[in-house]
Amino acid sequence: MLENVPIHGSRSDIKSKPPTHQRNLSLDFRHLTSPSSGPPPGCGHQRNRSLDSVLQRIPEDMTPTSPEGAPLRHDAPGPRLALPPEVPAGSDDSGIHTPPDGNDEERPQPPAAARSRESLDSGNPEDSDKPPDPPDTADEPPVKTMCVSDTSKKKDFLLRLFESKLFDMSMAISYLFNSKEPGVQTYLANKLFSFPGEDVDFYLPQLATMYIEMGDVADVLRPYLVYRCKQSAEFSLQLAWLLTAFCGDAKKSRATKLRDSILAEEIRPAARRGHHRSQSDASALRLATPSGRHLGDLASGRAFDNGCLCGEQCSCGAPRLAPQIQFLTALTNIGRRLAGVADKERRNGRLRAELATLDLNLPARVWLPLHQKPHYVLRIPPHAAAVLNSKDKAPYIMYVEVLETEGHEPLPPRLLPPAPPAPHSPPIRHTKSEENLVPEWPALSLYSALEDSDAGDCWSHEDEELSTQYPAKLPAPDSLSQVSAMSVMSAVSGVSALSTSSCGSRESVAVGAGEVRRRLADATAEPPPNTFRRDPQDPSALALKESWESKLARMRSSSPYGALAGWRLLGCIVKVGDDLRQEMLAAQLLRRLQAVWELERVPLRLRPYEILCLDRECGLIQPVLNSVSLHQIKKQSGKSLRAWLELEHGPPTSEGFLRAQNNFVESAAAYALTSYLLQLKDRHNGNILLDSTGHIIHIDFGFIFSISPKNLGFESSPFKLTSEFVDVMDGESSDMFAYFKILFLRGLLAARKHCDQIIHLVDVMRMGGQLPCLRSSSAVSAFRARFHPGRTEPQLRTLVDRLVRDALHSLSTRLYDNYQYYTNGIL
Amino acid sequence: MATRKRSGSGSKRHLKEKVVQIYESFFRGEDLTSDNPTFWDEFFLLKPKIPQLEAEIHKLTVEQLNNLKDNINLLVVQCIDMLGQEHHIRLVYALQTFSAILTTMYQRAGQDPSINIKFILLGTDNANSKMQKLLEHCSTVLAGDVPDSLKSMVIKLLLIIAIGIDNIDENPLVEYLMLHSLFEPLMQLLCTSTERQQHGYDVVMLLMFLVNYKKQESANPYVVKLSILDDELALNGYGQVITAALNDFVMSTFGGMQASGGGWLSSLTSMVGGIFLTSDETQPVVRGQRNMGGEEGMLLALYEASHLNRNFMTTLAHSSSAAASSAPPSPPATLPPHQTPPNLAQIQALDNEQPTNLLVTFFQYCSIVMADTRTESSINKCSLCFITLTCIVEEQFANSIMHDQNLTFKVQLYRLPMRHRKIVPEEPPSQPLASTLIDLLVEFMMCHLLKKFPGELYELCVGVLLRLLSYQKRCRVRLSRDWRPLWAALIALLKFLVTNESTLLRRHNIFTMAQQVVNIFNLFITFGDTFLPTPASYDQLYYELIRMHQVFDNLFYMALRYSTGDGEFKAEALRLANCLVNVRAIIQHFSPKIEVWLASQSLSTPTEDQILEVVRKNYDSLILKLQEGLEAYERYTERAHRPLLARLVRAASGAARLRADAAALRDHSAALLHHYTTIAERS
Repeated sequence: MLENVPIHGSRSDIKSKPPTHQRNLSLDFRHLTSPSSGPPPGCGHQRNRSLDSVLQRIPEDMTPTSPEGAPLRHDAPGPRLALPPEVPAGSDDSGIHTPPDGNDEERPQPPAAARSRESLDSGNPEDSDKPPDPPDTADEPPVKTMCVSDTSKKKDFLLRLFESKLFDMSMAISYLFNSKEPGVQTYLANKLFSFPGEDVDFYLPQLATMYIEMGDVADVLRPYLVYRCKQSAEFSLQLAWLLTAFCGDAKKSRATKLRDSILAEEIRPAARRGHHRSQSDASALRLATPSGRHLGDLASGRAFDNGCLCGEQCSCGAPRLAPQIQFLTALTNIGRRLAGVADKERRNGRLRAELATLDLNLPARVWLPLHQKPHYVLRIPPHAAAVLNSKDKAPYIMYVEVLETEGHEPLPPRLLPPAPPAPHSPPIRHTKSEENLVPEWPALSLYSALEDSDAGDCWSHEDEELSTQYPAKLPAPDSLSQVSAMSVMSAVSGVSALSTSSCGSRESVAVGAGEVRRRLADATAEPPPNTFRRDPQDPSALALKESWESKLARMRSSSPYGALAGWRLLGCIVKVGDDLRQEMLAAQLLRRLQAVWELERVPLRLRPYEILCLDRECGLIQPVLNSVSLHQIKKQSGKSLRAWLELEHGPPTSEGFLRAQNNFVESAAAYALTSYLLQLKDRHNGNILLDSTGHIIHIDFGFIFSISPKNLGFESSPFKLTSEFVDVMDGESSDMFAYFKILFLRGLLAARKHCDQIIHLVDVMRMGGQLPCLRSSSAVSAFRARFHPGRTEPQLRTLVDRLVRDALHSLSTRLYDNYQYYTNGIL
Repeated sequence: MATRKRSGSGSKRHLKEKVVQIYESFFRGEDLTSDNPTFWDEFFLLKPKIPQLEAEIHKLTVEQLNNLKDNINLLVVQCIDMLGQEHHIRLVYALQTFSAILTTMYQRAGQDPSINIKFILLGTDNANSKMQKLLEHCSTVLAGDVPDSLKSMVIKLLLIIAIGIDNIDENPLVEYLMLHSLFEPLMQLLCTSTERQQHGYDVVMLLMFLVNYKKQESANPYVVKLSILDDELALNGYGQVITAALNDFVMSTFGGMQASGGGWLSSLTSMVGGIFLTSDETQPVVRGQRNMGGEEGMLLALYEASHLNRNFMTTLAHSSSAAASSAPPSPPATLPPHQTPPNLAQIQALDNEQPTNLLVTFFQYCSIVMADTRTESSINKCSLCFITLTCIVEEQFANSIMHDQNLTFKVQLYRLPMRHRKIVPEEPPSQPLASTLIDLLVEFMMCHLLKKFPGELYELCVGVLLRLLSYQKRCRVRLSRDWRPLWAALIALLKFLVTNESTLLRRHNIFTMAQQVVNIFNLFITFGDTFLPTPASYDQLYYELIRMHQVFDNLFYMALRYSTGDGEFKAEALRLANCLVNVRAIIQHFSPKIEVWLASQSLSTPTEDQILEVVRKNYDSLILKLQEGLEAYERYTERAHRPLLARLVRAASGAARLRADAAALRDHSAALLHHYTTIAERS
């Protein structure tokens, strides 16, 4: 019945509306004449045009659920309402995952097209009330001739898949990557508009890679990317960085052009009508405060101030991205300069000095791209930052105070940190007034406890007064009298001291020397063994060991902005000199795996962290909170892992320990499986963290798939499983160890079930050969093979047993640890 | 137009430049303007001849000066008017003319106090409005977008006013700077890095002088504004200028090091802070050579900021990295002309390599200054260093930074080579700044137990130490350091006091000082549990006290002697004897026990460990008196140090004037004039 409805019915209906949407019409025209060139600035609607062309190309297999298309338009006002859940009943069938043949013509359905247009329009309030474009009948797409109707059956399936609820971003990427058919590509690119931004953002590396490497896909993607760039500065930068990171060398490609036009701020929201007045206001204001010219000058105090004063909707033409670019450049420059400093301690000092200089320019409207909620950076306390362990690079961790804001709230002014709270007020004797005649030198008799206690009270009182209104030059009348009273009393007591014997019979307080020494011994007793010492060679150990909660509380109290409701503390690692692109791919894979396991209810715990590649050799990493590396644990405590866990969580039978042990097993299994699947190498103990609840967390995914450090051939085992790990799991014959293997197996089964959406992530990234880990021709096929698609479950069980055994008894693991110990001193 | 020559100049028959002729007729009291309404416009287009102008003024007698008052008034008013000019040539020439007049008049006033400079320059009417106009113009130039050299000239002009008279309080023109404050535009100059590099030194200097104007009598707006300043950028700029100047001093003092340094220099360039190790073949040129160094002014500026502004403490510890923030090079004027400039490459390397912070630089500077207490001026500087330290260690914020275990520095302090010790260059330990400060104090205490005992400095020194320990006790901060050098220094001081009692008593009240020192020991003895790093260090304290018991015994007997008589020190001596009670209890408690033990072991020369063992075993039977208020101190007030500060300000303004005379007018003026005229021509 669906086929019965002719597309022309809806089209004529649309056509009957008054053609008010002239801008899009003209866009259509441009698109027709020069399909490869970008849309002119201010246009986000090229997609409509291509949808129409798709509509036109499909004369027969129409499935409009609402013949007129009108009911659908009711959904328009709410942004992103027209998402898959709203798909009409007719297309609810689950799709058949058949990748299209190269020859096949897949035709999307017009309602989908109409709907996606609706959602687009709704996303752009400017256009939401307008009727959709009247299709341009003169616009005959060149591909129309290729339209073959005999594949209508198959097309229908595909279309229904695209229509279905289950069709998600992952599939869209897969089809976009595999399909050579322009119609499908166009349809999918348009479909992107209907996915939530976050979903698309997850696949941004893939989209960027396709944009760089696949000319045809780039053409269809461009409108979407431009549209998002206009919407969000953050997206613009993310895209620009990815393009920078994945672009080949220096050739003037389409991708570099797009990147350059983003960075040159050519793609920016169109100036809105009705803002002219405010614009002139703003420019008038800007005359008063010289703007923009300080951008990037850290000594100016306004390095990240673009001079925009317009508030909510910027219309003054101030650079939208420049402050943020300057901010990140400043951060990476610090890392670059640190690498030239020889030893760690000095690096740390240098880091703090550099951050202090940077901090002078804050608060500013810049943000930390690792944090999702909109926010502004308030302050980077320099003393909280630390250089991380690395031999020749200088990654560093810093803690950034930010203000989460909803809108364009005004930034708080720069404030000085409050003075640290004094535990006791200092016992100061004030001789504030010029007239008072207290002798300069000890005016206080040491022997009269009574007098001292009195005086002590009034001093402490005065101190508060002093700290609140400093500099208090004028003595309050009563303090004056106190002082003079004091001097009188001291004189009196001096006399009394004179009259009494020199042995001082009046004193009432005495203390045993043994008591003093015992208190000293108690106070300086060995700190609890699970605390870390300060080690100048390892400045980050202390910074990382401190629990996040206590750090948060401490930083909040010492921050001048701590009282703000939106105050947040974020950690951030800045890495310069390391290629983070693989790291980013690994993080994506980890997220997918985690999502799969959650879906399949396998209690495996991964801890993916945010990665931001700024270019090929630097980026930001979200630190894993409340965790220290196994190396640091061993070095600082000199204990085995199990002993450490017992220290932290209690004896082996305690609830705390059992919970930690459970966490340990679940995370160890998750990372073991991940290590196996990704062929994760360079697993020395500096790259394995333990968090405060017992989870194992692997970091540094620099060597995955086909490469390993210096390709020494160490680490031939499937994953790292040392006897120490097994020891934490109560040994090889224990229940926990069995649980470990079961988890491994279940995780593998679950991952295998969804392996396609994991593998194609990698597949896309292989293009262009940018990632060394995927250079080997067999990298992806070997990856697929490690999911063992052909094996039965019992076969897999055997496999898992073998893998675990191999890993545990691997000689190479021990060899590698020794190698790391001797070369890099990692325990 | 005036062709008649004065008799004195008759020999010079050659053609005089027009401007000189005008000067001559002008200072003869002739009215040049009545027949030429555009006279002044033309006059300020003529390039001023500063030496001739000055010579003309110098020729006049006091009486003549007073008679010419109207003419000079007129000239001054015209100069001031021209400062509002858009025309840069007139603006520059007016500034130069005015500067020359001011300089000369101040010189005349210096020679003859009867000259009323305000009366001659400004007249009786509207003096205030004239000066207001001047300062408004200055403010406009300082805040405006004008060439740096112009701003520099304006700042120099203001400096001429500020340093015109040795005692700034008597300077009649500074009053107007108070009425029409230039604080904000001046601070603004410190905020921007490029302008700070250009003018920072002069601006800080100027502010320092202005802050010192009648600071105790009237409400000085600069004092008020400096004390509440919370613009971090400005404070940082202020601090950086001082850091650069002090660092230059540190560097220049040891500028010659490089040649002989040779091999270890490369290893030193990476050292935190500064490089001024000394070895045998390179004797540093410290003593007595730098009496008129320009850094005195900077030191005063540092003192004023630390004393007045609590927010400045954040700046003190703000480590700035030169590479990122481009610290201002202090002007060449910082160095006395005869001294070779510091090795720039070395400074550069240091700056690029290492962040410095004001505290580190200041400690290093102190270590150099404190090495020398021979001359009056070096003692003054030394005192200023100590009272600045006093201000710093009274601040909670500064203390918390100095005691931050995570904020460690390797600070190379200057150590005087002395007969009994050889200085080997070694890398200093990386330690919190408080520990460095204690090292500094120890060094001072050990080095000046001389016949000419600088008692006041010792009092200040012990005061700083007391404040530091007081903070540690209150906040239970444990510096993990070896405390023995400090105890040794304190004991050495006591020993010196006792042995030189009779000579010292003539000049100093040694009882109060001894009491202070003993009270510091009491702090360690009874409250050591709150700030000593280990129990072993407490044992070491006892060991030192017992080992040096002779000193304490002698001190006690001395105190007894003076307290029994009827002398003027009776009360103090008694108090000293009283506070020795714990030390004496310790000595009397342990000495017999040790002797018994020695007898039992039949030993005569026990090792330290053996003694410590005995001490450890016998703590429990010893009762100490808990004394209250040991860590109490009187908050620093400026009152007691006012004469000192006045002396220093006077010295600084004298030095600044010398520099201005020497550098600005003789050497640079030609180049500057050329520079300004080219600016003027371009505009």
